Amino acid sequence: MSETLLLEIGIALTGIAVAGAVANRLSLSVIPAYIAMGILIGPNEPSTIAGISLTLVDQREFIDVVAELGIVFLLFFLGVEFSISQLLNDRRRIATIGTVDFLVNFSLGIGLGIAFGYSLLETFFLAGIVYISSSAVISKSLIESGWVANAESGPILGTLVFEDILIAIYLALLTAVAGGGGTVVDAAVAIGGAFVFLGGLTLIAWYGSSVIEQVFDADSDELFLLRILGVTTLVAGFALTIGLSEAVAAFFVGTAFSETNHIERIETVVTPARDFFAAVFFFSIGLTTEITLLTDLVWLLLAAVLVTTVGKMVSGSLSGRIYRLDRRRSMRVGVGLVPRGEFSLVIATLAASVGTGALGGEIPVFTVGYVLVMSVVGTLLIQNADRVFEGITAVSRATRRTETG
Amino acid sequence: MTVYEAEVPGVGHKFELELGDEERLIVIIHHDGKREIYLRPGENQDSEKLFSLTGKLARQLGSILEGAYFQPVEMDDIQVPLGEAIIEWIDVDPSAPLVGQSLQEATIRERTGVSIMAIQRGEETIANPQPDTTIEANDVLVSLGTRDEQQQFAALVDSESIDT
Repeated sequence: MSETLLLEIGIALTGIAVAGAVANRLSLSVIPAYIAMGILIGPNEPSTIAGISLTLVDQREFIDVVAELGIVFLLFFLGVEFSISQLLNDRRRIATIGTVDFLVNFSLGIGLGIAFGYSLLETFFLAGIVYISSSAVISKSLIESGWVANAESGPILGTLVFEDILIAIYLALLTAVAGGGGTVVDAAVAIGGAFVFLGGLTLIAWYGSSVIEQVFDADSDELFLLRILGVTTLVAGFALTIGLSEAVAAFFVGTAFSETNHIERIETVVTPARDFFAAVFFFSIGLTTEITLLTDLVWLLLAAVLVTTVGKMVSGSLSGRIYRLDRRRSMRVGVGLVPRGEFSLVIATLAASVGTGALGGEIPVFTVGYVLVMSVVGTLLIQNADRVFEGITAVSRATRRTETG
Repeated sequence: MTVYEAEVPGVGHKFELELGDEERLIVIIHHDGKREIYLRPGENQDSEKLFSLTGKLARQLGSILEGAYFQPVEMDDIQVPLGEAIIEWIDVDPSAPLVGQSLQEATIRERTGVSIMAIQRGEETIANPQPDTTIEANDVLVSLGTRDEQQQFAALVDSESIDT
């Protein structure tokens, strides 16, 4: 072990801690703060301020591994918190609003990709990145705004549940296609393999919950934590070695727990580990980002921010209408789904691992810029939703008047 | 009364209690145990956050509301058996002549046979009071003695207050 490794890790963790504290003080999401800290003290620009070197932390294998665990446990928790019963109870409305959300926002992503001349695979990545909302940022904002106790939380959470399933299927597909040899047959074999493996995991999850219940019934929290970390990482790692998405495997491991009595314990015991891994994941994204490349992507970024913000507001408002909410509340549903975050970055990491063409450079850099903007814009929109609503109402009234007059 | 339960992914559980009309009380139980209580006056109105509690406080409040944690009882009715002896709590009336006397001056044990084990004074409890401790108005004297002795002691506190 090199002598400076521990020091660098110490600087990195302290940086993350400071970034989190600052974000909390500004009542913004911590995700953009961790990324920004990674950009700031990482090896890329800005590397100096007034002649003082800011390259405090290099890209290290250790950070990469913890970041990978961050992806695994973000998706694991998505699976744990995935409520099959909620989905089944309200399946018609959730399917409807989820489809509206997908059609509007995924299509906008496809349109952006075509308009900016990306290849088919690149466009498919881009569409996923701008489609998926951030569960982490949105649930935090819902609590802080008090909306969680209002009617608008129904369609917002319903949409997130639908997006959760879709992101699992999407990641499985994308990993298979991106990792395949390029021919249609390779891709088909890869997709087939992925669904056999994931189908197996689903069956275990569905029929094995009593066995899982017993196996994980550890006496102490320490043993419980170790078992969860061990099994989840093992399954995810195995999936990765046979060319499947480790993130999706972790999602299914998580769903296996969602029907057991262990949920509460996972939430209390494993959440701190997840938070640590995830914070390092966001930080490491900052480390690897050459933010100067963003200057070439400024038009794409601007177009994406505008189009996809409006897209979510329109699809969300429609979803609110489907839930029979009034106009104000429907618009809150739209605003509430604007923040993008962790899952866009997970997709971007997959793009970077493919590494060919724009997937290796432009798309991940774009995603970082996009998430930095959208997590902040989304949070601010939620905090000022009533003013936004009054603004929109005033504007639409004014345009109606000019049309008639 | 209907209670609606829903999961809030990444947060915890949400319970909605119908209060009558359209009013609802909303309780969010976070995974970390924190509870937030909201009141929603009507279906199309915004919920107002009333307060939030830690898990421990919430359980205490819950037991109080349920009536299990603290039950108001008449002080005179409390008796704790200790073999032949019993413990009683006796209120000192402000007009009782014991007020202002130290335990030594009051010579309670010589006159009635009971021992004063403790004095409850407002929030505080003086355990094992010394002979020079003064009895004050509204004190609660915790006494140990047989049933007969306790009756004599109660009579002492009462009769003297009537005499004056």
